[in-house]
Amino acid sequence: MKNVIEIDHLTKTYGKARGITNISFNVEEGEIFGFIGPNGAGKSTTIRTLLSLIYPTSGSAKIFGKDCIEFAPEIKKEIGYLPSEVFYYDNMKVIELLKYSASFYKKDCTKRIKELAEIMDLDLTKKIDDLSLGNKKKVGIVQGLLHEPKLIILDEPTSGLDPLMQQRFFELLEAEHKKGATVLFSSHILTEVQRLCDRVAIIKEGEIVAVEKISTLQENNYKKFKIHTKANLDADYFNLAGVSNLVVNNDTVSFLFRGNLNSVMKKISDVEIANVWIDEPDLEEIFMHYYVKEA
Amino acid sequence: MNIYWKEMKTYRKSLIFWSIGILLMVVSGMSKYAGLSSSGQSMNDLMADMPKALKAIVGVGDLDLNSASGYYGLLYLYLLLMATIHAAMLGANIISKEERDKTSEFLFVKPVSRNSIITSKLLAALTNIVIFNLVTLISSILIVGQYSKGEAINGDIAITMVGLFLSQLLFMSIGTGIAAVKRKPKTAGSLSTGILLLTFILSVAIDLNEQIEGLKYITPFKYFEPKNVMYGGGLDPVFVVLSVGMIVALFFVTYVFFKKRDLNV
Repeated sequence: MKNVIEIDHLTKTYGKARGITNISFNVEEGEIFGFIGPNGAGKSTTIRTLLSLIYPTSGSAKIFGKDCIEFAPEIKKEIGYLPSEVFYYDNMKVIELLKYSASFYKKDCTKRIKELAEIMDLDLTKKIDDLSLGNKKKVGIVQGLLHEPKLIILDEPTSGLDPLMQQRFFELLEAEHKKGATVLFSSHILTEVQRLCDRVAIIKEGEIVAVEKISTLQENNYKKFKIHTKANLDADYFNLAGVSNLVVNNDTVSFLFRGNLNSVMKKISDVEIANVWIDEPDLEEIFMHYYVKEA
Repeated sequence: MNIYWKEMKTYRKSLIFWSIGILLMVVSGMSKYAGLSSSGQSMNDLMADMPKALKAIVGVGDLDLNSASGYYGLLYLYLLLMATIHAAMLGANIISKEERDKTSEFLFVKPVSRNSIITSKLLAALTNIVIFNLVTLISSILIVGQYSKGEAINGDIAITMVGLFLSQLLFMSIGTGIAAVKRKPKTAGSLSTGILLLTFILSVAIDLNEQIEGLKYITPFKYFEPKNVMYGGGLDPVFVVLSVGMIVALFFVTYVFFKKRDLNV
């Protein structure tokens, strides 16, 4: 599979403030790639470096196989970008802004603008200044997709959108994805990443802590245990290798487990239990696990 | 070209207001001349009693205020101030406003290089400045001509306008240069006008104190003064070369620094 984005040891520091450190990951052609981490972890910094709005301190990145700084104008022909905070020229009308945006791409986008505006329920005749945050976001979405880009980069795209519009937007993304577009989707909301993405990179304090398939993260690695015991247990009874997020509350024990299941099962069989639940953890819990583990 | 036309549209209203301002300045300035010259008293006698400092500040200097051209020379100082304030603010804003208004995440992700964005913006600013200059030229020739009583002044006005244009270009390039170097977009405009004010005060100080005359090379307000330029004096080649050199250097700074630095997003 061809890589659309290749990030190679990318580092960006702003004086004293931490930016991103030594980030490396690839996004393959045709996938929806999630980029997840809390606010301030470095998601936007990474994306802005890819778009050459800011320049890396060291390391490099390639998009469509070309250096993202040197060939910036060329590769941007095929990139659609939705920033996390949308700001446009206040005195313009929506349609004027979209036409201005379209004028940078050498193709006729009039039809596509109409289609997208209809899907996103956007009034083209309003002034940008009069739009609410959610409606500005819709302008951003239409603006990012109107030239049918091969790579769509979204930075926290759903903030400000109501649930119905989020739904429409996800359907729109899935349609673009089916047409062959690659998507880099940055977010701090796990459920939307879980729903859309094939793979995910988790970023924490400027460093990548994991790059994995969503399915691997969810199914293969972790089990969520909750055990009701008949007698109170020693707090450290289940504290063995592979256990994390251990919570002991009188006769209830819960934890995440990664490793050989037999070792846990033996431990469980040695005590009198009243009930036991073994679940697939949702992404949120795995995510917290990454953060708690290294805190 | 789309960026150029977008900028032209953005600055259209402000250019119209500035043009009305120039016209009013010329009209009201010259009508004062009409009032004073018809009062019978020689204005030169009046001015002779004025303290030197006051004369320097209002820009009278050694001009012959009994003639329309001399009075125009006085008026020119105010036109020059207006034109350079306009140019400095335009230069600083046209570069920094994308970052100030946070629209850089729109414009700078389009498939155009930073250099070509700068070129379009500089061309738009240049067009605005040329129009400003032409409006000043035409309104001066038409209105001063009303009072000239046959004195041939069109040539004198034209040559001061060449000086005006060089000063406009110089302050515009100071504006764009500062906006390109500074990462804080909001400060570019105020810093540019600050420099303008400082060099203007310096030029007044030089008029008051002959000992610091050597400093005239660092204040553009001393480069093309009407009393030197008019009446066949022409533009001083030293100052022409000096301004053109600075303009070229500052445009170079604008391109190089803006291309290299992180955008403020």
